[in-house]
Amino acid sequence: MVLTDASLLITEACVKAGADAFIGYPITPSNKFYSYGSKRFPLFLAGPDEITVLQWMTGLSAAGKFPVTATAFPGLALMAETFNMAYMMELPMLLIITQRLGPSTGSATTGAQGDLSFINGLISGGYPIPVLCPSNFEDAWKLAEESVKTAINLRTPVILLTSKEMVMTQKSFDISKLHEINKINRVHEIIDLPYKTYKSGNNFIPPFVPVGNEEHLVRLNSSTHDDEGMIQKNSPNALANTIRLKEKMEKRLDEYTFFEYDKQDDSKHLIVTYGISAEASRDAVEELRKNNKKISLLVVKTLLPVSEKITKIIDSYQNVTFVEENIGGQYKEIIYGKVSRSNIKQVNKIGFMISPSDIIKELSL
Amino acid sequence: MKSAVLTDKKMPFCPGCGHGVIVNSISKAFMELGYNPLDIIIVSDIGCSGLVDPLFATHTVHGLHGRAPALGLGVAMGLANRNKKVIVIQGDGGATIGLQHLLEAARRNIDVTLLVFNNLLYGMTGGQISGLSTDKFKELRHVEEGVPPFDIVRLAHQAGAVSSARVISPANFTESIKFAVETSGFSLLELASVCPSYGLQKIKELDDFSEEAEALLNHRKANEVEYIETPSLLDKVEIIVDKFNSSINDRYGVVLAGSAGGGIQLAAELLAKAGMSAGLYATMKGEYPVTVGTGFSIAEVILSRKPINYTGLDKPDVIFIMTEDGLDKVKNLIKNETMIITDDFLSLSADNISSKSFSKKVGKRSAVLSAISYWISNTDIIPEEAFKEAIRPHKHADLLIKAIETPL
Repeated sequence: MVLTDASLLITEACVKAGADAFIGYPITPSNKFYSYGSKRFPLFLAGPDEITVLQWMTGLSAAGKFPVTATAFPGLALMAETFNMAYMMELPMLLIITQRLGPSTGSATTGAQGDLSFINGLISGGYPIPVLCPSNFEDAWKLAEESVKTAINLRTPVILLTSKEMVMTQKSFDISKLHEINKINRVHEIIDLPYKTYKSGNNFIPPFVPVGNEEHLVRLNSSTHDDEGMIQKNSPNALANTIRLKEKMEKRLDEYTFFEYDKQDDSKHLIVTYGISAEASRDAVEELRKNNKKISLLVVKTLLPVSEKITKIIDSYQNVTFVEENIGGQYKEIIYGKVSRSNIKQVNKIGFMISPSDIIKELSL
Repeated sequence: MKSAVLTDKKMPFCPGCGHGVIVNSISKAFMELGYNPLDIIIVSDIGCSGLVDPLFATHTVHGLHGRAPALGLGVAMGLANRNKKVIVIQGDGGATIGLQHLLEAARRNIDVTLLVFNNLLYGMTGGQISGLSTDKFKELRHVEEGVPPFDIVRLAHQAGAVSSARVISPANFTESIKFAVETSGFSLLELASVCPSYGLQKIKELDDFSEEAEALLNHRKANEVEYIETPSLLDKVEIIVDKFNSSINDRYGVVLAGSAGGGIQLAAELLAKAGMSAGLYATMKGEYPVTVGTGFSIAEVILSRKPINYTGLDKPDVIFIMTEDGLDKVKNLIKNETMIITDDFLSLSADNISSKSFSKKVGKRSAVLSAISYWISNTDIIPEEAFKEAIRPHKHADLLIKAIETPL
């Protein structure tokens, strides 16, 4: 056993999966990523601000490197425009977001799960971003690897959504049980010649070739563009290319949909949760079952885009309780919107982690 | 015969626009230097200057307003082949909004050439003035008079650009671009341009409305980034072997409350490790002000027979209160059944409170370790030897063990 934290596991998993560079701008509570990142990544750069960080990352990715950064809401807010650029250019990279209490600069050292709504709307036009969310140390290792893999395979920036308590708290952990992570291959097969930067085959993903290569002309473009990467206003080719950005995320969603479904037969009640609140939910479920209450648990690990696999499970229950550490229930709102329903409950809290007893009390089974 | 740097696409600029002159000069410079188009990566910004991509038969990357110098620097730092040339193109508007990126690129001095097309205004949005609009041009327009332009040539020079220059006469463009491209490291060229739609109509007016041409050099060697293999972080993590026993059957919560510099966080980590060596699961988290060198320092440790999911500690079993700062932070957690161990200078007394002269005996920094040791010896929750075992890998282990062995 070792005493460690999820920041270390995520950093190590990223590098093992083939991430080349950590570009950092210091912010609490992502401090440990910065510190581990500076020691472990083949290249570490200290950016002068978060906009520069993401611009450098996009440039590195264009040249074939896989960059990673870690920030919190204030940094993510500055990165919003460049995130759209990297998304539009279809360049793989990973952003680790460590959530802390908002609004604004809020409380840097207090945990939260408050940034999902912002991330859900981050891309102008409402295009989906893969958002993976670890709920314990095992997930930290696995989902960091899957984030790198998803970013490469789908040619997209990916967000790994964590929170202060998830990545700063140290826990005893058996590292001998971690699965081996191998470097993820970034070579894409080119089928059609002449190569067009954004021409995809049946898999919705244009094969990636780095800028600066000596065989194929590469044109990356942040503005609306056709499959050659040429800027366009709204030509059919360019709009088809833009629509493909949504299609690729959704048609290949099964590849990166992760969740943990602890089903109890005959239970009419389901707890839906994610991230740090999953830990309290697991304890609550154990306690309730000890008292012969029937309860099922769904820990969502791919928060966005929302998979039908998730909604089908949720739909199969009469009573559903969403547990998340924010003020209004952001994941609940993504699933059900603003309309309240008598069979949907919420456990929400700010400033402190939701405890198992908070959940048991609200369920009142 | 080298293939052409330009495509056969028609220039997208208004008739008489100075940008076309610059694009042709770039092409001529590369042809004369003998570059293949795929040896060049053009990184462009937003604005009229950002319309250049389709004109070039090179790799092209079309980014955001003002950010192209940062994007281009990223490309340059990612390139496997150092013989490739990254050329960043932006306008005077882009240089204004992204000035930080320009200075950062100059400071880093990676091999990148930045060409700023200065037509003195924002052409794409209706001719508004920019941070590089000259005094003479603003006087003509009666706007922002008395607010001088940024001199990006001098700013880049001061930030460390190997070469930075302003070129007004189109006759000098090709040679200046060749020099900038051949410069190893960061080079900047501000190239004068006209905007017939909103600004100056004729090239010959450039002399009257531009700042003086100038060329500055820094004698610096270009920087390169290196990708270095590093050992796994897991190689350095201390493996804790389970070799002692503990009397804990369920879950036990410990809070350590003191002040910055009082060794609270270290003590918590050592206690967690001691618990692990006694066969328990453990968590540890710290809380302290953002200014880490002053004020309170609180740590929570959970020791448990079962794996720990939820790491909150709503009802601690024992609280160590070492200072006034610590007391302030934890007083609301104290219940009648909570065991309190405190330094006697705090003068707390109740049935559940044990106080000793920890800091007087072993000093402020080790007081909490002494208190934990006292608690261990009185409760048998974990063996004393387990705590010592946790301390031993520490670089000041001898001092720390001496502290816990000091009689109270």
